Formats: sequence, C-alpha cells, structure tokens
Amino acid sequence: MRKKSLISMLIAFSLCALLIGCSDDELGQSGDNFDREAMLQNWADNIIIPGYQTYVDDLKELNSAVELFTTSPSSDNLNSLRSAWLEANLSWQAVGMFEIGKAEELTLINYTNIYPTNTTDLIETIASGNYDLTSVNRQDEQGFPAIEFLIYGIRDTDQEIIDLFLQETAEQPYKTYLNDLADRLETMAQSVLGDWQNGYRDTFVNNSGSESTSSVNKLVNDYIFYYEKHLRAGKIGIPAGVFSSEKSTGKVEGLYSGNSKELFMAGLQAMQDFFNGKSPNSNLAVEGEGLKSYLDFVNTVTEGEDLGALINVQFIAAREKAEMLSENFRTQVGNNNNLMLETYDELQKNVVNLKVDMLQSLNIRVDFVDADGD
Amino acid sequence: MNKNKLLLGLFLGTTISLTSCGDDGDDPGISISEPATYVFTRDGESTVSFSGQTTRILMAEEIIDALKESDLVDAETVIDAMFAHVEGANDFEDASLNTSDKSVRSKTAASSDFFSANTAEAAAVKEDFDAWIAAQVMEVFPVWDTEATAGVAGQIQEAGGGSIRYINAKGLEYNQAFNKGLIGALMADQILNNYVSTSVLDAGTNKEDNDAGTVADGKSYTNMEHKWDEAYGYAYGTAASTASPNATVGADDSFLNKYIGRVKGDEDFAGIAADIYNAFKLGRAAIVAGDYTTRDTQADIIREKISTVIAVRAVYYLQQGKATIGSDNGAAFHDLSEGYGFIYSLQFTRQPGTSMPYFTRTEVEGMIEDLMAGNGFWDVTATKLDEISNEIAAKFSFTVEQAGS
Repeated sequence: MRKKSLISMLIAFSLCALLIGCSDDELGQSGDNFDREAMLQNWADNIIIPGYQTYVDDLKELNSAVELFTTSPSSDNLNSLRSAWLEANLSWQAVGMFEIGKAEELTLINYTNIYPTNTTDLIETIASGNYDLTSVNRQDEQGFPAIEFLIYGIRDTDQEIIDLFLQETAEQPYKTYLNDLADRLETMAQSVLGDWQNGYRDTFVNNSGSESTSSVNKLVNDYIFYYEKHLRAGKIGIPAGVFSSEKSTGKVEGLYSGNSKELFMAGLQAMQDFFNGKSPNSNLAVEGEGLKSYLDFVNTVTEGEDLGALINVQFIAAREKAEMLSENFRTQVGNNNNLMLETYDELQKNVVNLKVDMLQSLNIRVDFVDADGD
Repeated sequence: MNKNKLLLGLFLGTTISLTSCGDDGDDPGISISEPATYVFTRDGESTVSFSGQTTRILMAEEIIDALKESDLVDAETVIDAMFAHVEGANDFEDASLNTSDKSVRSKTAASSDFFSANTAEAAAVKEDFDAWIAAQVMEVFPVWDTEATAGVAGQIQEAGGGSIRYINAKGLEYNQAFNKGLIGALMADQILNNYVSTSVLDAGTNKEDNDAGTVADGKSYTNMEHKWDEAYGYAYGTAASTASPNATVGADDSFLNKYIGRVKGDEDFAGIAADIYNAFKLGRAAIVAGDYTTRDTQADIIREKISTVIAVRAVYYLQQGKATIGSDNGAAFHDLSEGYGFIYSLQFTRQPGTSMPYFTRTEVEGMIEDLMAGNGFWDVTATKLDEISNEIAAKFSFTVEQAGS
C-alpha cells in the first residue's frame, strides 16, 4: 500500500514535471503569476506617454527657437536655439529606448539621432535644395546631430554662423533646411505620441502575455538592444575604439556642442529609471511596477545576491565612473581614453546582468543578434 | 586446435585494429601523439611551407578592394589582370605579389578531384568570376552615385546612417558574390577536393618517398607533407601565428579564415574552429608517422567541418536578410549578397567519404535562380528565403534556427 502510493506519487510528480516543462518551453509561458498588465500600465501611463509628452513639448520650443533664429539671426537667438536644442535632445534620451509601435514603424531613432552626421552629404543636400527626408539615405543628414552641426559646427565662430544665416536673403537653403529638420522631428514625435494616445496604449497594455510578440517581451528586448547598441556602443564604445583598431574622436555624440557627457548621463539615468519603474514626473522614492519589482517577485538570486539590487549597483558604478569623464568625449578620448574604456567595462557588466541573467529569470528570449559588422 | 588458435589470433587482431581506430591510429607499430601546435621539423629545420597560399590570399584581398574602386581607370582590364596575374606584371600594390608566378584565377575551380576531368565546368566557374568583374565595372561603377531602385542599379544606404552598398538592378553586390564565391571556388575547393585528397597526397611516388623520408628536391619536406601544408595555408596562410592560428581566427583574412571565426562565434557551433585546426594538426602528424588511415580520417573531418562553415553562413545570411527586407533594404541586400556568394560556394563542398559535394552545380544554380527571379532581392519573399534555408540545412546536421542566429 505504502509502496503503491509512493509509486503513484512518483508518477504524479513526473507528470507535473513534464507539464511544467511544457509550459516553460513549448508554450512559452512564464510560469509565474506576476501581474504583467500592471507593469505595462505603469510603463505606458507613467513613463512612456509622459516621456513623449515632454519630448513633444520641448520640440515645439525648439521649433519656435529655430523660427526665431532664422527670422532674426542674432547672438541671443542663437543661444536660445542652442538651449532649446539641448533640452529637446535630453528629453529624447528618455524615450529613445521605446522603439515599439509607431516608433518602430517609423524607425524613429534612425531619423532622430544618427551621429556622426554626414556633413559632406548634408551640405550637398542643402545646396541641391531637393531632398526627401523620409528616405533611408537621408537618415545621417537630419535629427539632433544635423541641427547641432548647423548651429555649432558649420562655421568656425558664432559670429560667422550668425552671418551665414544673416546673408541668406532671396535663396534661403540653410534657413529652409534648418526649419525642415526641426519640423520633421516634431511631426514624427507627434505622430508617435498621438498613436499612444489614440489606441496604441490599450493595445500595448492588453498584450500582456508572455509569448515572443507580447508587449513585455518586445519592449524588454528593445530596452536591452538600446542599452547595448546605443548607450554602451554608440555613446562610449565606438568613439573609444572598442570595436575597431583605433579611437574615433569624430564619432562622439555632441561632437560640436560639447555636450556628450550630459547626453550620456541623461540616457543612463533614463535606462535605470525605466528598470526601476520610476516615472520621470515623480519625485517619490516609491517606484511603480517594473523590471526591478518583477525580478523581486520571481526572487532572482545570482551568486548569493539579489539580481535586481545587483543591476542597480552596476548602474550606479557606471555612473560614478562616467562622472569622471570630460564634458566633451572628444577631448576625453583624445586625452585619456582609458577612462572611456573603464566606463565601457562598467556598462558591459550590466549587459551580462540584463541580457543573460535577467532574461533567463523572466523567461524572455533574445530576439536580436549582434551585428556581423562586414 | 591450430585452427582455433588462428581464429583466436584473427579475433585478437580485429580487436586491436578496432581499438586503434578508436584511438586515432594509436596502434603498436605507429604511435602518434597530437602535436600542441602546427610545428614540424626535420633535422632541426621547419618542414612547413605554404607561401603560395599566403600569396594568393593576399592577391585576392587586393582584388576585392579593387572591385570597390569606382574611379579606377580602365578598371575591367586592370582587375582582370590582377585576377589572372602573370609573373612580373605590375598588378598589385604589394610589390612582392607582382614578382610571384602565382595567380588566383588559375586555382579557381582547379582541384584534382572535381575539375581535372571536368574542364568544362571549371571554365564555367572561371567565367562566372570574370563576369562578376565585368558587370561590376560596366553596370555598377557608372552609377556609383545615383540611388538604386527596383530594376535599376546604383547605391543604397543601410538604415541609421549605415554603410552604402553598390548593387545591380536586382539588388546584388557583385563584389560580395566574388568575395564569398571565392571562399568555395578557391579555398574550399583547393583544401577539400585537392590537397587533402588521396589523389594528390598519394600521387606518383609520394607514399614511398614519405615512408622513406625522401625529401623533395632541395627542400626540407616530403611531397606529401607539403601538399597537406598547402591545404593548411588556404585556411591559415595569413594568420598572425601560423603555428597556432586560432587565437586570431576570423581576423586574418576576408575569406575562409574569417568565416571559420564567425561560425566559431555562434555558440551552436562553438567547437568548430578547434575541430578544424586539430584535424589539420593531427593529419600532418599522421603523415610524419606514415599512418595514412588516421590522415584520411582527419581529411574527412576537415571536409565535413569546412563544408559546414560554408553552409551555416549561407543560411545565416538568408535569415539575416529576411529579418530586414522591406524595412532596411540596404542591410537586407547586403546580407543576401553575401548569402548568394556562400550558396555559390556550396558546389565546392565535399561530403566526407564520397566524391560528391553537398550540392551540385546544377542544384546551386537552381537556388540562385529562385533567389534572383524577377527583380531579384527587390521581389524575394520571406517564404522563399526560408525554403532555400531549409533546403540547405536539411543536408547538414544543424537547423535553420541554429545557423540563423
């Protein structure tokens, strides 16, 4: 009797194991009871939509500043334009990682922040007066880096830049192009925000399953991709020469304005805030549902340490290292590239935490591969 | 009783030889220990030599560079001359290549097993490469700066300010077809179907000479040793350390070495670079020891693994292209052009233990025809790319998913 019950227990146990095995792997279910919908709500309502709202508002300011400067080029107006450019660019850093929905459809990031801008092509394009900014060929001739070049780098001194715009009278290719760039940024951002506000928010929140096309799986993949490619490689690794035989001072973000560090810090902070489910509009210490609370829920322990805490510790370590960098990474790469490499290393440590340990804990499969590079 | 003893003896003999197989030829008469590195000496002098292979890899590097020089004067004649170099002609920037009597074209589709009695097909392959050079110069160079559209050659940029690709009317980059095609037609064909083949290793009196330690005229190596080294040179001829090349495998050339490195980087195929190198090493040691069974076992390992590298990359690029087609055609067409070259290379692969490639030229032409139908890459569908991927993977021990990521 006892023996028999032991056997049936064993059978029941193995059936259980089989079923769990199935639900884990074949059906792609996460096997946890975490409230993914609540997390998606927090993401959409408290982080993503407010983030785009701020971004759109800042782009309106940028547009006005461009209009003012191109109508009356002056030192004051140039300075206001530069501040507006920086504000909008900083807001962009908080939403660049959300390449989902309309942003994905537009490939928003490719039209917004591709640097270095191709100055040769850009000048040719302006001169031709004939361009289609929606063409893939024009992605490296627009967005924040192109505007930055026009308001910081097109001439050697501020006065010469002002003069360039002052001298344009009948034919105004530079004025027109600068206005077109600012318009396009605003139009694209409006279209993304509008989409979130008019239906996509519900689609996003309701797609709360755990299959590869679910909102959580897709956005987490986008988030890690952004961390790896845009934050780690684009802002730090590529200029520091991690992926090539030599350093590339010309490939830093904020090349002409010298704002590399401020932009990087904003990006890093936004990535950590999103991890913690923290709204950009909140000063509260208590944060909403996010990847941190999800990891706490499934109680992930890596080498005796809590993974969620470990990731935050690593974000902070990267920030502390980056604090030591110069404002303009071009100077930093030229003078002491080692510090750039050390920052890269700190960022890289979190790639392992996020891409391997976190994804395993949350049972999310990576949907992108590292680029081949040839 | 006598009869029984004889049977027993046979039985024991069988056991020993079976054991020896399992131990990679470690039988009583011959003992091979796998060397740590690809270093072999005779009387204190190195017996390893593959300078001809290094030369051809370097020549091929200059040719693929020239295929991107749209402002080259008299380009077709110049590139043709590089491809079919004649000793003393001033074809290359690297002056030491100019004095060489080697040429890339003469060894393209020129293996003993596949092409010595099939010169018609060899000529057809050479003509493919000639045609890619001519088409690059005539169709693509003149429209280098204009934007390509379906049915119209020109340039196309990858998204995100990415690389600019120069394509024909169907989206194909001829330089990629040439580059990746050469991995099959030169490197793989020479290794798998020529230098590790018994037809070459055992030609003439090679076996007797090797057994007796008779070296080639004025050289430190036997002919057989040298043939094996020439195979090795097509994989590692430009390695930073030719004795121990795996430290930099993937970074040493733009051809086979590069893609052994790439496939090694995919965790589904992590051990493959070590397998290939070890087979070269052990096979060479077996030649020194006169153990031709072990040598041929290693030759088959090399055939299987290098064929796998080519097939994995063919599937990889089709799948990569599938992921971006429509949204980022610049990137997609580049991947598909590389895929095109690797598919082309499949006709030079070799199924171990046979005299057959994994895919015949006719089969390869069928796949390419499918890929290039209508407006080629502008028209190709995800379904079609999956079909071709599946067709390739089905002949190998990997899945499309394993190769595709």
